[in-house]
Amino acid sequence: MDTAKSHQNWLLEMEAQSRSKQTSFINGISAKLRRPMVTEPPRHPYRGSPDFWNAYEWDEQERIDKFTENFQSVGGHVERLSSMDEVRSFIADKAKEMSAKYVIRQNQPELEALHLESELPEASISVWNTDPDQHWKARSAEADIGVVLVDHAAAYTSSMVVLSSKDKGRSVSLLPTVLIAIIPLDRLKTRMGEVMVHFDEGGRESLPAGIHFISGPSRSSDIENDLTIGVHGPGIVYAIIVG
Amino acid sequence: MKVSLFITCLSDAIYPRVGEAMVRLLARYGVKLEFPNVQTCCGQPAFNSGYWKEARTTAKTIIEAFEDCDFVISPSGSCTGMIHHYPKLFEDDAVMHERALRLQSKSYEFTQFLVQVLGVTDVGATFPHKVTYHPSCHGSRLLGVKDEPMALMSNVKGLEFVPLPYADDCCGFGGTFAVKMSDISGAMVTEKVDHVKETEAEVLVGLDMACLMNIGGNLRYRNEPVRVMHLAELLYEGVKQA
Amino acid sequence: MSHAPGHSGGATVKARAELALNNEFLRKAVKFTTERLKNGKLKAMEDHGNWEEWRERGRQIRLHTIAHLDYYLNQFVDNARANGVHVHFADTAQDAVTISLAIAERKSAKSVVKSKSMVSEELHLNQALESIGVEAIETDLGEYIIQLAGEAPSHIIIPAIHKNRYQIADLLSEDAGEKLEADTKVLAGYVRRRLRAKFLEADIGMTGCNFAIAETGSMVLFENEGNARMVTTLPKTQITLMGMERIIPSWADLEVMATLLPRSATGQKLTMYMSGITGPRRSEDADGPDEMHIIIVDNGRSLQLGDPEFQELLNCIRCGACLNACPVYRHIGGHAYGGTYSGPIGAVLTPSLQKNIAEWDDIANASSLCGACYEACPVKIPLHEMLVYLRRRKVEAGHGNKVEGAGMMGFGALLSKSGRFKTVLKLGKLGQKFVARNGEIRLKVGPLKGWNTYRVTPSLPKKSFREQWGTMDAEIREGLKEMAPEMKQRMEQIVKDRTKGGGNGHGHS
Repeated sequence: MDTAKSHQNWLLEMEAQSRSKQTSFINGISAKLRRPMVTEPPRHPYRGSPDFWNAYEWDEQERIDKFTENFQSVGGHVERLSSMDEVRSFIADKAKEMSAKYVIRQNQPELEALHLESELPEASISVWNTDPDQHWKARSAEADIGVVLVDHAAAYTSSMVVLSSKDKGRSVSLLPTVLIAIIPLDRLKTRMGEVMVHFDEGGRESLPAGIHFISGPSRSSDIENDLTIGVHGPGIVYAIIVG
Repeated sequence: MKVSLFITCLSDAIYPRVGEAMVRLLARYGVKLEFPNVQTCCGQPAFNSGYWKEARTTAKTIIEAFEDCDFVISPSGSCTGMIHHYPKLFEDDAVMHERALRLQSKSYEFTQFLVQVLGVTDVGATFPHKVTYHPSCHGSRLLGVKDEPMALMSNVKGLEFVPLPYADDCCGFGGTFAVKMSDISGAMVTEKVDHVKETEAEVLVGLDMACLMNIGGNLRYRNEPVRVMHLAELLYEGVKQA
Repeated sequence: MSHAPGHSGGATVKARAELALNNEFLRKAVKFTTERLKNGKLKAMEDHGNWEEWRERGRQIRLHTIAHLDYYLNQFVDNARANGVHVHFADTAQDAVTISLAIAERKSAKSVVKSKSMVSEELHLNQALESIGVEAIETDLGEYIIQLAGEAPSHIIIPAIHKNRYQIADLLSEDAGEKLEADTKVLAGYVRRRLRAKFLEADIGMTGCNFAIAETGSMVLFENEGNARMVTTLPKTQITLMGMERIIPSWADLEVMATLLPRSATGQKLTMYMSGITGPRRSEDADGPDEMHIIIVDNGRSLQLGDPEFQELLNCIRCGACLNACPVYRHIGGHAYGGTYSGPIGAVLTPSLQKNIAEWDDIANASSLCGACYEACPVKIPLHEMLVYLRRRKVEAGHGNKVEGAGMMGFGALLSKSGRFKTVLKLGKLGQKFVARNGEIRLKVGPLKGWNTYRVTPSLPKKSFREQWGTMDAEIREGLKEMAPEMKQRMEQIVKDRTKGGGNGHGHS
């Protein structure tokens, strides 16, 4: 308790130092720019993408096709399914095929409704952050499969966007060997800008700690330019487009 | 219309045939080139090495030499490009700055003048040889001379054009760079010549004698029988043949 | 295990370049990699389309942000603090190191897992951490390899570009204590297992920062392996090192940067992961750091602020496209540049971050000024011009090469008058009588030594152009035909447009 308290004090001390340093640091910048410090929001005439891009949009089929094409081109797998029932069978089949022993999923109602436990009686299925005594990062690390329902997706770059929360761990899409990500079709947009606009509009207070754009399996070409899949993150990624 | 020739030191001293080809080719269109003989070097070696005081001295000579003409044309995209640096060189001298801007606005590389100003893309030449082309960096990349030489070459009868692999790569000349960093420069020109050899072209053509002297020098060093020409020479020779 | 700071072998650029030029494997590897990345970029640009417009937009966003850096940095800091981040300011590398070590000591940290950060390379932070007994582990595959080798990265995107799989297998085998096959899958698989344990047990995760979003106080990381996500998800404490110029105003602006950066770096539409981290974990979250620090580093960057010739350097988004486009880099590799940053950006940045001109080495001379870097740059930084400005500043500060300086003074004097130029030509013709054979000079002595090691020098012709002019001029005048009226009209129109101050369509880009 004492160390925690002294650590808090230290942080406060550091903050006081930082605030006083900030003044000289920023003043230094204004001086270098040879003008008084700018305190009003400057007009930013070039904010964001060019207009022609903001107007760019694909129809639904094109979004599905392009997402699929892009995601597959970087080594990911895409499934086009019509209902959550099909998703349930797909996950169950995959888990059996890979003899998955541990599965971890986000604590999302759509995933709850899949009743994976009854589909996969052999496997141990854990639900993110449902027990405060569990070491959830370790649970994710030992999982063969992580299952998430994504918050957004963008077809142009084949990106799935996951936001962290109490019920949605960052680890679930990162630590398991295999990632299965479900994209409700109505969340699949054309451009990543259509996703980012929510973050600007919602502002700082609306943002979760972690926003992750996932556009394929983990990869590296660091050894002799030879492409390796699955360096740190999941090497096998299924994107399931549903709806 | 007064059109003056800015010969550049290399063409003056080592490759006068390039200047002659320009003069005689343009005369066919009724363009009588003037040659203000007070001109010297554009000052690029000093400018690029950081000796701007010295560069200013020669720049001033060039500005004066071409003050009273309507167009200035040179056989080098690099030297014409240097003229485009003059305003920066005189940014603290309003009068000279203005004069530098005037010179810049009327300075053209040879093919720019032919195509953009005269509107000529077919000089009526015949040149029945296999030809490859090295686009010099300053001319193509910084001055934007890309389409002009291609258009001119495509209209030469009998000319078989072979694209140069990695054409956009610098040949390694870079002025004093070739002397100061001679081993790096040597590696670059060696690679360039390897690519020239791959084309099996009989003739290597370009728009800048500095680069061509560099590449040609390595070709000769390796006893490669590729003929090296400025495009003006090729066109003029082709016109005489036609 | 730590990175060797700066120079490897040889005190001058020329000496280091010579080492590289004689290393056949290195040259081939660098050539292969830069070509792969360059071609990837060209294809990505073409696939995406309107590249020039994107490039211009990227440049404008960066110009705008840097021109108002005081405002946006304040805004970022306020928002980051509101998100619960502990923000620190470091004027120098030493300040940043001191702050980092203080945090590590406070946390009684035993190990730090790091994702790729060029700022951290500037600080030589790994050595500093080790000096207080903290293990620093680079977790990017390439960085891990060169850390084992005790070397510095030789490419901003592919740090271990200079190592082949056998060398890598040897390094990793030693690390593993068992013989690993020189197979990429095997080697990468080993690193995955090895580092997985390190991620889970590390006390501190340390990252760089590709972009910092002022309006929300978020920091953004681009990566392909997932190690940066590990570093920002697993340890209890996160430290982010951020160059003070990494700011962009909004997420909308991030879309532009996310369009330019991966395409320019590797030809990817987007890296496999792009993460926006907005503060430490929320109290109910079960992962992410409890405590997050961002250290905003100057370390010479502010020297470029307000300097019209160099301010644009702060626009750099560290994509490495200029390295891949540069013919000099391709021949000598990254280590020959002798600093944290290599290639054209390194040749400009390394001296620019250093106030003391006397300590600038010869790096700005290692360029033929071909402009390929400028053409490749996604935010249009005129690096080829900056190299000339650096050379000029060195000369003007009295640190030029003495012999060259004397030569240039002679150059200026000679070429200011055409008469003197003629005299030189005459002397040249006289002199070459002794060395020229069949119109060529092959002698490898004196000033021609370097040149003639690779080339033959042409000798001067009998008559220079100016000596031939009189005769030629007379011949031409006789029987000169009349210019076609439409041609004449074109010329007159161009002259007229010019006086109106209209743009001359043949300008310098």
